[in-house]
Amino acid sequence: MTALTSPYLWYSARATGIVSLVLLTVTIVLGTLVATRVGGNAVGRFELNEVHRSISMISIAFIAFHVVVTVIDSFVPIGVLSVVVPFTSRYQRLPVAIGTIALDLMLAVWISSVFKERIKHSSWRFIHWLSWLCFVSAAVHGFLSGTDAHRMWSELVTVGCITLVAASVVWRISMRPERAAGRTAHSPLSSGRASRPDAASSRVGTKDSNANRSSSRRPLTPEPAPPRAAQRERRP
Amino acid sequence: MGVRRRTESLRLRVDPIMCDGYGHCRELAPELVTLDEWGYPILSEQTFVATRKDLIHSAQLAVRGCPRQALWLEQFGPRN
Repeated sequence: MTALTSPYLWYSARATGIVSLVLLTVTIVLGTLVATRVGGNAVGRFELNEVHRSISMISIAFIAFHVVVTVIDSFVPIGVLSVVVPFTSRYQRLPVAIGTIALDLMLAVWISSVFKERIKHSSWRFIHWLSWLCFVSAAVHGFLSGTDAHRMWSELVTVGCITLVAASVVWRISMRPERAAGRTAHSPLSSGRASRPDAASSRVGTKDSNANRSSSRRPLTPEPAPPRAAQRERRP
Repeated sequence: MGVRRRTESLRLRVDPIMCDGYGHCRELAPELVTLDEWGYPILSEQTFVATRKDLIHSAQLAVRGCPRQALWLEQFGPRN
């Protein structure tokens, strides 16, 4: 392989690495919102799911660019094998290996999602849990091997990403909707057929589930009885 | 899937074991799905013919968009 190097390749590798971390963060936060059934009023739940899928595709493109540029840049001796096999890089063996592990985990999550209809749902779900691990290894990889990792702005970005994902973990665990509590309100996209008046009271949390349940029962009664005051007035 | 004959009829079906009440199907196919008071789907019992492209499109969106993959589009033979 000819020695191909240019400062721009190295700049691209650094920039796409940082952007990839931000995109992975956004993907994980959106996935958490889907799993905890956020949405239904202002934004549809299916829309959050679609944005989650789309941004994950964009982050895959950025990560692919990051990896390809790093390999073809001969400024650092990272071979093609190091893309998928950890601990084969002569340059910064451990940090690059952690990045390789992150890429492998992300490939597993991606491929299992592409073949989601062909595999068991529980298998897909198990593999999808690995995306948390993928983010952790990507963040550690960026912190250990990033050229800009110890600059102020880069540390702020990394800490922001880690904070967001940690908040997602807490949200995912604490706000996990109990079964049958995840009712959706009407999306503004669903044309008003059989619209329910209590749409605004729908929430994700478990605390209000009883209140929601009783209020959502109301529209099932065909016609609300007129208030008593009105009945009294009619009497002679 | 294959070729759909004009006389074929279709129906959206749900696997109630897989369904977890995410409610995406209600948003994606409001003309075929209503929700019960716990957020689980009540699918339209009515079959529709293969010429209703709009309903097929909605149903396919719902099948694709289900996070639990609990939906499928059932096809019947020609009605007689």
